[in-house]
Amino acid sequence: MASFATATRLTTRLISRRVAQDAASRGFRTSAASLAAQNFTMPALSPTMTEGNIANWKIKEGESFSAGDVLLEIETDKATMDVEAQDDGVLVKITQGDGSKNVQVGTRIGVVAEPGDDINSLEIPADEQPAQKEAKKDEPERKQDSQSAAPEKKTSGPKKTGEKAPPQKYPLYPSVEHLIKEHRLDGSAISEITPTGPAGRLLKGDVLAYLGSVSSGRPAEIKARFDHNSHLDLSNIKVAAPKEAPKKAEKAAAPETPTPIYHVVSSTISLARVIEVQKKIENTLDTFIPLSTFVARATEIANDELPLPSNYEPTADELFNQVLGLDKASRKGSRGHYLPQISALPSPSFTGVAPKPKKQVDIIDFLAGSAKTPTPKPRKTGPHGGISTGSNIFSLSVPKAEEKRAQTFLQRVKAVLEEDPGRLIL
Amino acid sequence: MEKGLRYRSRLILLFIILSYRPPLLIANQPGAEEKDLVIIGGGVAGYVAAIKAGQEGLKVTCIEKRGRLGGTCLNVGCIPSKSLLNNSHLYHQILHDSKPRGIEVGDVQLNLQAMMKAKDTSVTGLTKGIEYLFKKNGVEYIKGTGSFASEHEIKVQLNDGGETSVVGKNILIATGSESTPFPGLEFDEKRVVTSTGALSLEKVPEKLIVIGGGIIGLEMGSVWSRLGAKVTVVEFLDQIGGPGMDSQIAKEAQKVLKKQGIEFKLGTKVVSGENTGDNVKLQVDSAKGGKPESLEADVVLVAIGRRPYTAGLGLENIGLELDERGRVVIDSEYRTKASHIRCIGDCTFGPMLAHKAEEEAVAAVEYIKKGYGHVNYGVIPSVMYTYPEVAWVGQNEQELKSQNIPYKVGTFPFSANSRAKTNLDTEGFVKMIADPETDRLLGCHIIGPNAGEMIAEATLALEYGASTEDIARTCHAHPTLAEAFKEAAMATYSKAIHF
Repeated sequence: MASFATATRLTTRLISRRVAQDAASRGFRTSAASLAAQNFTMPALSPTMTEGNIANWKIKEGESFSAGDVLLEIETDKATMDVEAQDDGVLVKITQGDGSKNVQVGTRIGVVAEPGDDINSLEIPADEQPAQKEAKKDEPERKQDSQSAAPEKKTSGPKKTGEKAPPQKYPLYPSVEHLIKEHRLDGSAISEITPTGPAGRLLKGDVLAYLGSVSSGRPAEIKARFDHNSHLDLSNIKVAAPKEAPKKAEKAAAPETPTPIYHVVSSTISLARVIEVQKKIENTLDTFIPLSTFVARATEIANDELPLPSNYEPTADELFNQVLGLDKASRKGSRGHYLPQISALPSPSFTGVAPKPKKQVDIIDFLAGSAKTPTPKPRKTGPHGGISTGSNIFSLSVPKAEEKRAQTFLQRVKAVLEEDPGRLIL
Repeated sequence: MEKGLRYRSRLILLFIILSYRPPLLIANQPGAEEKDLVIIGGGVAGYVAAIKAGQEGLKVTCIEKRGRLGGTCLNVGCIPSKSLLNNSHLYHQILHDSKPRGIEVGDVQLNLQAMMKAKDTSVTGLTKGIEYLFKKNGVEYIKGTGSFASEHEIKVQLNDGGETSVVGKNILIATGSESTPFPGLEFDEKRVVTSTGALSLEKVPEKLIVIGGGIIGLEMGSVWSRLGAKVTVVEFLDQIGGPGMDSQIAKEAQKVLKKQGIEFKLGTKVVSGENTGDNVKLQVDSAKGGKPESLEADVVLVAIGRRPYTAGLGLENIGLELDERGRVVIDSEYRTKASHIRCIGDCTFGPMLAHKAEEEAVAAVEYIKKGYGHVNYGVIPSVMYTYPEVAWVGQNEQELKSQNIPYKVGTFPFSANSRAKTNLDTEGFVKMIADPETDRLLGCHIIGPNAGEMIAEATLALEYGASTEDIARTCHAHPTLAEAFKEAAMATYSKAIHF
């Protein structure tokens, strides 16, 4: 475990703030690698997170954990998130226990060590980054303390505003990065610099003002000027005399909001011929071909070159051909992707549709007992549940614009399955 | 073959999916239908707004009376002038700048008709391209002249005869601008011409006078000067390039253009003019009161600026206001007095630039659709496509000086740039202006080869609030002209390496 940044992996990606914080303070952090125990600080789980509550620790003091284990749960104003360990290790000490409120990002919340270390003999490292909040309470001495922790003294005393700056955006600009490295500013120092760049970006001038090498109000002055220039100057408009009095305008009615409507298109298709062919093949070739194969192949054929939906949006090529007057050659159809729903034809009484008037049976025949009532074919259970070997309803649910397209598709399926299904196989 | 077809059909399918928009229930009677947005004007402001609105899923109609989309920019402005500028430069270079490069050229002939045809081909291709984009984005295009019948209804006199009307929940005025005429000189587009006429002269005039030394005047002056005309530019102000151009750059530009054969009369006022039919006579006067002078030319180009064009729009019918200079009065969200009617582009406030109009178009549609849009008016680049090009963005030195704003300047000449040296094209320099304390870039001004492309980098830097050090610490490829840009940044915040 090289440093605290690698000690944990967060379920939410650690934001760059932390990475840069680490990078900025690398000067004195690298030495920590030789220590077996390291401080584990409050991670920033989102770019805007500045503090959070510790809901509860999932690992007790002295317990070891392996990579991927959830170490603790952190609550922010937005969500509760798990913090996972990236490497194996031992939790030596918890410094901010369950239920700690408003813990600043970067504050030490615990101490971790390498797996197998004897935690009783380990030296607990000092808290490197006192909480900003504490620092603010009893400034300026605490702040001075944290600066003296930096290995190199700054040439000119950094200017403290005392207010909290909005969180910085990363990556930093090259000049900013350079100044930060040069002056060994750490993460907490960076977070105190007030950014004046577009969308809250930290500019070179902001860092220079913080370091005291330019006047403190300068960046804000420039920002104000840029803000002013960024708008159209609509002041002092001298309106020309109006030519005519305005007339009353009538308000037009608001249009309804459109809702997509799906239509069911269906067709009754008999599979009798298909079954016939299926049996014939089974008898002669001794191979059983499932009904689904027939249907799939028929669908494949029927999907070819279907008429375009009425709301079809032409492709770039077609549009361009239209502009150039070449649209005569453009295609009239496109391949469909329909897969029909198949169900056995329900008995007419269940359909809710008024049954077609049946042929009236001649009363004489009826009385003579010779009438043949036209009964529907007995429904055998086919090889597929819900599919009749007789008539089936093939249906598609399509947007209104595609109704014609779907109908064509079903007509083709019907033609292929009812007329010559043998060709689907041979 | 089969596989190829499949692949292609899959690509097409992908395209359909990507460009799929939820179907709108469209009423069948076009007259009765209310559009989400009706745009008057199919120029850069109007067509960009139309496409953007189509992409945002609005039902949009664009009304254009020219019969071709693209407005002034595409039809009689930026685009055709760039065609002539590029080809006349090539001709001029072959004629005068091939020998030192080791290229011996025989008899060089100018075929003006062919050059004009090349220009027309470019224009036609681009305007058709917009028509295609309209179709692609579901924009209804009406060829005709629109005027306000009421606050929501636009009456359209169709170009093909007849009349129709469109009703819009929102209306966008994008009617653009026209050349400002010179009092006493009527445009006949033969002898007294606007930039439109200057783009299609039938023969190279022997003598051409350009009234107005701004960008349009200098570009068209350059074209005809290269093709053999004796060109004189008469400018009222003491510098060329208009007030936005940095004075130091303007001086350099004048020097270079003078070397190319263009004559300048600065601080000179045209008092009167007369078109005799055979030629045009001008009476000029020193602006500060000197002795009057008489000038004569075959053709006079009046390029003293452009003015908003709202004639026939019927703004008075609905009581919309114009300011003294004819600009439609708007608020910061481009709304006129009637909040559903907005106005963008040349016919309202701000610089008359195609790219400014384009930005506004997107912002205006975003205001309609999302309630927020943004154009950064402080960071709008300008380019003059003479040779060498002049380009700038942000504030110039004289502006800062007059506002008593402290600044520092860094320059780098192209004569010290390796690529410019190898190109034997070393005129001009890059000038950067930054805040002396914080080093934040305030403006960038370039005269030199490829300045118009290079300014994009300065624009990006300004948009992001970069310091010149940020630019200087960014790697630039070698050998490129852009290295001059980087070195100018180095010169501003510390020192240039190669100068």
